Amino acid sequence: MITAYVMVKANSGDADRIRSAIEGVEGVESAHIVAGDVDFIAKVIVDTPAAVKDVTATRIQGLEGVADTRTYIAME
Amino acid sequence: MRFVIIGAGRVGIRTARVLEEEGHETTLVERDGDRIRRARADGFTVVRGDGSREEVLEEAGIEDADGLGALTADLNVNFTACMIGSHHGCRTVMRIDEEYREGIYRKYASEVDEVVHPEHLGAMAAKNALLGGSIRAIADVAGSLQVVELTITESAPVRGYTMGELELPADSRLLAFGKAGGELGLPTPDESISIGDRLVVLAEFPVLEDVRRLLVGETPARAMAGGGERR
Repeated sequence: MITAYVMVKANSGDADRIRSAIEGVEGVESAHIVAGDVDFIAKVIVDTPAAVKDVTATRIQGLEGVADTRTYIAME
Repeated sequence: MRFVIIGAGRVGIRTARVLEEEGHETTLVERDGDRIRRARADGFTVVRGDGSREEVLEEAGIEDADGLGALTADLNVNFTACMIGSHHGCRTVMRIDEEYREGIYRKYASEVDEVVHPEHLGAMAAKNALLGGSIRAIADVAGSLQVVELTITESAPVRGYTMGELELPADSRLLAFGKAGGELGLPTPDESISIGDRLVVLAEFPVLEDVRRLLVGETPARAMAGGGERR
């Protein structure tokens, strides 16, 4: 199992909808609206490193209102 | 009153200056050496340090401050400073960097009493200047709701009517009325509408253009040309 934290920057103020959309992506365990230079932090738990890339680069980045993501993979 | 301002950059310094000019006491918090020197040379009280650290804010007098302005370009510093300020019972104002975040902080950041977006305020002022004075945005109340002040021009369709006869589009409300040169007040139905009178209207964005056409009566291009001629 691989755990990753994904920092998500939005480009729209529609925070509730974007948060729900992120949480709706398969592999995302939770997502929170945060203060600071990113707008959401999502926790992703998947089986393989390739799946991390699929969840973040393809699925989350493809959501309407998402401008950018940055992913940190947990080492333990 | 006493205020702590985080950030001695362009926004922080100007805010401190206008507060001082109005007789308030301010202490700036800044970590950059050059900015500290410049602010001190201009007579400001500056505490050196990171405005997101409680001991730095305590040194700046957060305990007996009335308000905290977190005005750096760093959102993380600004938000943390507001959390500390709120804990100490301060009114907190946070600078944000992008327009879409305004609604998010207003809704979720209970530690932040007010959000300011300097670039947006600058854009509103520039727009007012470009439109030549017949319409002036006062405030964005919500995402699609704006308060505007309109000045009646020669070509205004409503000129010569009374307030009682005025019919504004749906999704807009008249808030205040002022005769030319007079003060704004609550509108009364018998007052007549003439050149130079001002109306303050709350309107949804989609009907703003209808309101403008009814009360000002020009296309934006002609409004600008008209503004030029008057000057």
